[in-house]
Amino acid sequence: MKPPQRGRGGGVRGGRGLARGGEGSAVRGSGRGGESGRGRGPGRVKSESDGGIKGGSKVLVTPHRHAGVFVAKSKADALVTKNLVPGEIIYNEKRIFVQNEDRSTVEYRVWNPHRSKLADAITTGVDNIWIKPGVKVLYLGASSGYTVSHVSDIVGPEGCVYAVEHSDICGKVLMNMAEKRTNVIPIIEDARHPAKYRMLVGMVDIIFSDVNHPEQAKILSLNASYFLKSGGHFMISIKANSIDSTIAAETVYQMEVEKLQMEELRPTEILHLDSCEEKHACVFGGYRLPRK
Amino acid sequence: MAMYVLYESSSGYALLEVHGLDEIGQNTEAVRTSVSDLSRFGRVVQLTAFHPFESALDALNQVNAVSEGVMTDELRSFLELNLPKVKEGKKPKFSLGLAEPKLGSHIFEATKIPCQSNEFVLELLRGVRQHFDRFIKDLKPGDLEKSQLGLAHSYSRAKVKFNVNRVDNMVIQAIFLLDTLDKDINSFAMRVREWYSWHFPELVKIVNDNYLYARVSKMIDDKSKLTEDHIPMLTEVLGDEDKAKEVIEAGKASMGQDLSPLDLINVQTFAQRVMDLADYRKKLYDYLVTKMSDIAPNLAALIGEMVGARLISHAGSLTNLAKCPSSTLQILGAEKALFRALKTRGNTPKYGLIFHSSFIGRASAKNKGRIARYLANKCSIASRIDCFADGATTAFGEKLREQVEERLEFYDKGVAPRKNVDVMKEVIENLQKQDEEGKEPVDASAKKSKKKKAKGEEEEEEVVAMEEDKSEKKKKKEKRKMETAEENEKSEKKKTKKSKPGGEEETDDGHSTKKKKKKSKTAE
Repeated sequence: MKPPQRGRGGGVRGGRGLARGGEGSAVRGSGRGGESGRGRGPGRVKSESDGGIKGGSKVLVTPHRHAGVFVAKSKADALVTKNLVPGEIIYNEKRIFVQNEDRSTVEYRVWNPHRSKLADAITTGVDNIWIKPGVKVLYLGASSGYTVSHVSDIVGPEGCVYAVEHSDICGKVLMNMAEKRTNVIPIIEDARHPAKYRMLVGMVDIIFSDVNHPEQAKILSLNASYFLKSGGHFMISIKANSIDSTIAAETVYQMEVEKLQMEELRPTEILHLDSCEEKHACVFGGYRLPRK
Repeated sequence: MAMYVLYESSSGYALLEVHGLDEIGQNTEAVRTSVSDLSRFGRVVQLTAFHPFESALDALNQVNAVSEGVMTDELRSFLELNLPKVKEGKKPKFSLGLAEPKLGSHIFEATKIPCQSNEFVLELLRGVRQHFDRFIKDLKPGDLEKSQLGLAHSYSRAKVKFNVNRVDNMVIQAIFLLDTLDKDINSFAMRVREWYSWHFPELVKIVNDNYLYARVSKMIDDKSKLTEDHIPMLTEVLGDEDKAKEVIEAGKASMGQDLSPLDLINVQTFAQRVMDLADYRKKLYDYLVTKMSDIAPNLAALIGEMVGARLISHAGSLTNLAKCPSSTLQILGAEKALFRALKTRGNTPKYGLIFHSSFIGRASAKNKGRIARYLANKCSIASRIDCFADGATTAFGEKLREQVEERLEFYDKGVAPRKNVDVMKEVIENLQKQDEEGKEPVDASAKKSKKKKAKGEEEEEEVVAMEEDKSEKKKKKEKRKMETAEENEKSEKKKTKKSKPGGEEETDDGHSTKKKKKKSKTAE
């Protein structure tokens, strides 16, 4: 039986209930690994949802090669980002508290590659994600805002994330999240018509697209022509079955890459994300890059 | 020929004039190279006019219009004011570049200003967007983002139909405050009793109620001044003449010590405070009742405002309460007992917060568990209706309450309760009757949606459904039922335009649209 989210009836509750209030005790993940998240009853089931980190162990947090991202090393490594809004979590992810020399705690949130394609790309070993502190990101297909929250952690207070999501239900969750994080600008609108939200978006450095639509290349290029600066970068996640489920995945990726190249979106890296999901790939590239 | 460009930003409309670039050539490459360099671009494009939005509401209107491609009056007056006049019959010597051709045709129809939106214009607009904060001198670096943020929030809220009145956070806070207030009033009242008993100890035994005690002590003030004349006043407060006489008697023979006037004033002020707090608590309770009827009328009609509010606050929000299965709702509030029982493999608790509704008390010991489960199921239904349906009607809640009563009677006397299908049908009929009495009758679509409703009921019964949806989980059934309830409530709300196509859609596509809706909901 899944315990209700806000544990107020006391009882045994890991993570949220106890960790809130910022206990400064050394370094710990939140307790009760398997319980929070899926909650498959009292039995501890090793689910994919915990992102690889076990509770209560000693953890060492070091910066990742990509600026703004960190790695938490313990028995199993995990990707984490520094929480922009300490004390708030989006949906049951674990938090890691690290104590500094001056006794202040820094809070990190675990980033689960099974839930987020960007995290998957990072753990698979992409060269450059282009998202770093201070940049402006346009995120198409923000959904409930899980990855958006981590991107917002990375870009920090100087950067900003324009999160575009069409669905009402996800939009509500996204907006709740955006109320706490002031660098996320929620736009509940169809990404196929960037003209509709042109008043709300400035020029961005990076476009991140996770819309899974057969015409996603066109959507990306249209948005880029409105909002992506020259020399800016993009990342697009391709689900082969969304484009065309009858042909081979490799062919689909090639087709998408060609469509992008016709619109001045030059791919620099293509990553196959097979560790967490099948038939998914990620393409990174640049827009109107100067000819060398 | 002069060329202007209109740029819509979140802080206002900007009109810019394009120099230097050959109009006939309209060379996009040239624009691109100039864009990258601000100083060069600054010579190509210059700001003619900027019209900031008057207020947040004004900005929201503008952004809505812009997203539809419609021209507002403000935009029109801005353009007519700042662009050269278009003379009748003569060909205008300028043109206006826009991002969207639809808006362009609107503007042209209304004001005869020629508009164009080709690649050239789009490149120019890119440049403007990139360097916009340099063009407008009053804008400081963070301002543009802030205005974007505010505008985006209000735009998105309108899109998801965010209703301020239906914020369940108010109820959660109110319930917490109510509990805190109760504790505080109690401790203060105890304090008053102790304090005043130094002066008049016997009063404690005569007046038991805290609130009354405070009032009486304030009225009596100094007990030596008590006379027969005070009886009417005391009777008014205590409600009982005998008690009033007792008080007077006790006052005469009291053992308590005298208090100085200053001390008495202090006690009085404190007693007044307690009374004020108690009055405020009453007002808060009324506020809670009103709020509950706004955000969760069915839940309130079924189990009462207090229990309903407690459930919502325990779950965290109305949406959380609606999401959890009814077995969770049944033992919300008894987590400690639950997990202890699960660990030691004992018996799990039968009820949590639900216990405080009147129904559980009325069941015999054997049936308490059954009623608790039944009640939790109905509460789940009620909370889901409240969370996802558009209208605020208590019709469902009342019928659900009747069902619980019937179930209680069944355990008592063996009177068979009505089937759920029939009860729900009644509710829908009543709602439709109300609608027919209203202005626009929706017979056709109503009947169609009624049929759908009847179909929905059959599935809701735990009987093996004849439809293809029998494999759906119970929650999905509920949600679909809510959707059909939604359809009906929409029709009730006289939104004929929406309900008619909605009703036709359903009967045409059958279950396909519903399945689509379900898929989007499970994506949560």
